[in-house]
Amino acid sequence: MDIQYKGEHLLPGQLGQLFVILAFGSALFSAISYYFATVNKNQLDNSWRNLARYGYFINTLSVVGIGACLFYIIYTNLFEYHYAWAHSSRTLPVYYIISSYWEGQEGSFWLWGFWQAVLGNILIWKAKSWENPVMAVVALSQAFLASMLIGIEMFGTRVGSSPFILLRNAIEGPVFSRPDYLNYIKDGNGLNPLLQNYWMVIHPPTLFLGFASMVVPFAYAIAGLWQRRYKEWIKPAISYSLFAVMVLGTGIIMGSFWAYESLNFGGFWAWDPVENASFIPWLTLIGGVHVLIVYKNTGHSYFTAAFLVIISFILVLYASFLTRSGILGSTSVHAFTDLGMTWQLLVFLFAFIAISVWLFVTRWKELPITKKDEETYSREFWMFVGAVFLALSCLQLVIVTSIPVWNAIFGTKTAPPTEPVRLYNIVQSSFAVVITLLMGFAQFLKYKRSDATTFLIRSLVYLFFAALISAVIIVLSGLYHTHLVYMLVIFGSVYAVLANTKYLADIFKGKTKLVGSAVAHIGFALLLVGAVISTGTSRVITINNSGVGFGTEFEKVGNSRENLRLDFNTPTKIGVYTATYVGDSLNGPNHYFKVNYKRIDDKTGKVKENFTLLPNAQANRKMGLVSSPDTRHYVFKDMYSYVSIAWPMKFQDDQTAENEGHTEANEDKEYAKPVAHEMNIGDTIRYRAGLIILKALNKDAKVRDIPLAKNDVSVGAQLEVQSNGKVFTTEPVFMIKGGNKFDFSKKVDSADLKVRFSNILPEKGKLEITTYVKPEGEKPYIVIKAIEFPSINFFWSGTIIMVIGFLLSIFRRNKELKTA
Amino acid sequence: MKKSSILGIVIIAVAICIIISTYADTSTYGSFNEAKNTHSELHVVGHLNKDKQLIYDAKKDANYFSFFMKDNKGEECKIVFTGTKPQDFERSEQIVLTGQMVGNEFHASKILMKCPSKYIQDKVEVTEANATKQASI
Repeated sequence: MDIQYKGEHLLPGQLGQLFVILAFGSALFSAISYYFATVNKNQLDNSWRNLARYGYFINTLSVVGIGACLFYIIYTNLFEYHYAWAHSSRTLPVYYIISSYWEGQEGSFWLWGFWQAVLGNILIWKAKSWENPVMAVVALSQAFLASMLIGIEMFGTRVGSSPFILLRNAIEGPVFSRPDYLNYIKDGNGLNPLLQNYWMVIHPPTLFLGFASMVVPFAYAIAGLWQRRYKEWIKPAISYSLFAVMVLGTGIIMGSFWAYESLNFGGFWAWDPVENASFIPWLTLIGGVHVLIVYKNTGHSYFTAAFLVIISFILVLYASFLTRSGILGSTSVHAFTDLGMTWQLLVFLFAFIAISVWLFVTRWKELPITKKDEETYSREFWMFVGAVFLALSCLQLVIVTSIPVWNAIFGTKTAPPTEPVRLYNIVQSSFAVVITLLMGFAQFLKYKRSDATTFLIRSLVYLFFAALISAVIIVLSGLYHTHLVYMLVIFGSVYAVLANTKYLADIFKGKTKLVGSAVAHIGFALLLVGAVISTGTSRVITINNSGVGFGTEFEKVGNSRENLRLDFNTPTKIGVYTATYVGDSLNGPNHYFKVNYKRIDDKTGKVKENFTLLPNAQANRKMGLVSSPDTRHYVFKDMYSYVSIAWPMKFQDDQTAENEGHTEANEDKEYAKPVAHEMNIGDTIRYRAGLIILKALNKDAKVRDIPLAKNDVSVGAQLEVQSNGKVFTTEPVFMIKGGNKFDFSKKVDSADLKVRFSNILPEKGKLEITTYVKPEGEKPYIVIKAIEFPSINFFWSGTIIMVIGFLLSIFRRNKELKTA
Repeated sequence: MKKSSILGIVIIAVAICIIISTYADTSTYGSFNEAKNTHSELHVVGHLNKDKQLIYDAKKDANYFSFFMKDNKGEECKIVFTGTKPQDFERSEQIVLTGQMVGNEFHASKILMKCPSKYIQDKVEVTEANATKQASI
């Protein structure tokens, strides 16, 4: 029985689905046409190429069309579509609609396809004689990406997952048997609060541009093998590889900045499989860039250069398989969930592996592999060694991250290491030592061949200075408490900075032109210094041993206790600071906790520093508590803090309820039973949290804009409240208006108090003050964790310097392309 | 011998070291019974016993959280975690603990839990809680 559903808008979805099919068809058509254009013997016949171009243009338009339809659906809140319902809500601001694109797998595949479409058009415009073979590869990859969005049944299995699937088709529920079901679906699920962050607007597009641009050097390497043009592909491949590593690197660091600023990981890098998945291809392509330059300059290492470039893209595909197939399961916190596309991702991966292997095998005998031995005192040889070590460090990441894959293949049940962060940190640091040292002394060597004695003397002198400087750094930063390998990384990095600075100085003397590489190397070395010092010497400053009552067995274990409870208005020592939880406020879904920090000089008692941090938490009925840190930034360190438990926790919907109809009676529940006191001026009331003194009476107290007639009386009681060493003044008002008694209470939240001037007793000559005191133990509190990260700014500034270095190199390599 | 051959040998040696060290560092999934007989840390998979009491009281101790878990073999054990109670812990369907036995209690250094997603009903999501030792390198 077909149900005629009411109120659905099916047109944008159908249009979008049409674009999806068109995108897939046109990409496949373009790939096939480019293939025939490439194998066509007649050089003057452009017909295949023209067909292929049209195909690619149609694909580009379709991809833009998919994006437009999806945007329309989300923007106009058409919750009959699963994607809009799952990832958006009516209250979502427009700029976060962009973020909701990449919360789901479909949207992120679209983003990848979009960038690949853009890059394809640039190649059509720029690649000249390389267009046909290179674009055949790119268009094939585009066809695979488009197939991920199809979402229809073919040969008994579902191919891809469409962003235009209707809610009633995606989820089963009794509500969908009603023709007017849409009346019951008022709002979408909303965007994950963690993604509602400005970094999440720009981090995924950058990362995916990086991923997408990995296909270009790969396509050049494949085209070079396919067309037997073993030399020419190198130069354009260097430029595109530099672009890819620059963008991907920026995207990765943006992600870690997002993690640092708004997640409570407690740091900028957690070696999560999803993070590793983006880092792995970056490492291999960095190696690839170096070996490409080696091959360009010496003709050595052709195979390694092509291999590294090709494996980088294969690893991008492998990374998508890891993060999108659900195989990581319980080992990762933020992998995508399984959409049943495992086999499709595997086909994508193995198709490109097969093409690469087949080309290597068939061309093996012709490959320009030199039999001559490399020169030991040449920069190329050591660049090559460095690249190999990068690949090895990558191997370790791949092997450990893929433990769930090994389990699936071999049917084993191995668990990941119990302390993965420590394992990764030590192993990867060991590689970093070798690589930074190579980054340093390779700069003293010349291309092709250099004099051994001058080289040795120079590098030894610099090694000596590097040892001195790094010793100072290690002592000052306190790094000597840690593992030896971290000290060696500092040594290597300092050496790399010195050697590359010397190299830069030579450039300004006009000896050489390779500014970009020296700058990028300095940036990378600084980044490592920042990463090692901040991770190695970060210190939790909320250590607390105040826990009581859970038995001695627990105490004995010597657990460090890193969470500290801050009671409302109770100053507590945190490291060098005195922290006080002074209040909270709600802004949209964010619940901000105001924590004041003071640094007080022990001797003089002067306040040297006074600032307030607002870590926040989002209490979302669907998500639970999601907390975001707030950080005090200094030049040489950061003080980072987040709230893990808060009591009471306020929800956004409570707030609305409060605004709409908050009754006095309801509020009084927060207080213990009211107590009436009869007082004269100068009398004092003692209560749980301090003293209340009646200072004076104000004979004509004004309450807002209530007009007073001639016989009306309005008296304010000027009270001084002393609580927790603080003094507050407040003035509740008693009023007789038109013969009726009114009074206006005042709250002193910081003193847990509400006071009413409840009556005047003329017969006794006294006043009646009623006090409402919040019971003890009901004081609001938060549990916070605060961490000091020293030298973290080296990490961020190193990144910026590295990116500038990449940019300079790209400009220079492009110049080479033009003059060549 | 050619330099490239020497380099090749070095590479193979390092690669073997990586694989062996990975293998040596991996942990195993086990039960509470196995945990009692070993001194090394291991992973235990199981589910929360919702009938027994969960203890977390920030007023008493902000770093003490205890509960009872049944492992996949049905054996029950008291778990102690030095840290705050992970959000929505009561709703977890499956828990993966990393830690070791101390007396009759299992001291977890990490809790990984699977919740029926409150966020998107047709998905399952994973959240993680790391105990105390942050960045202890």
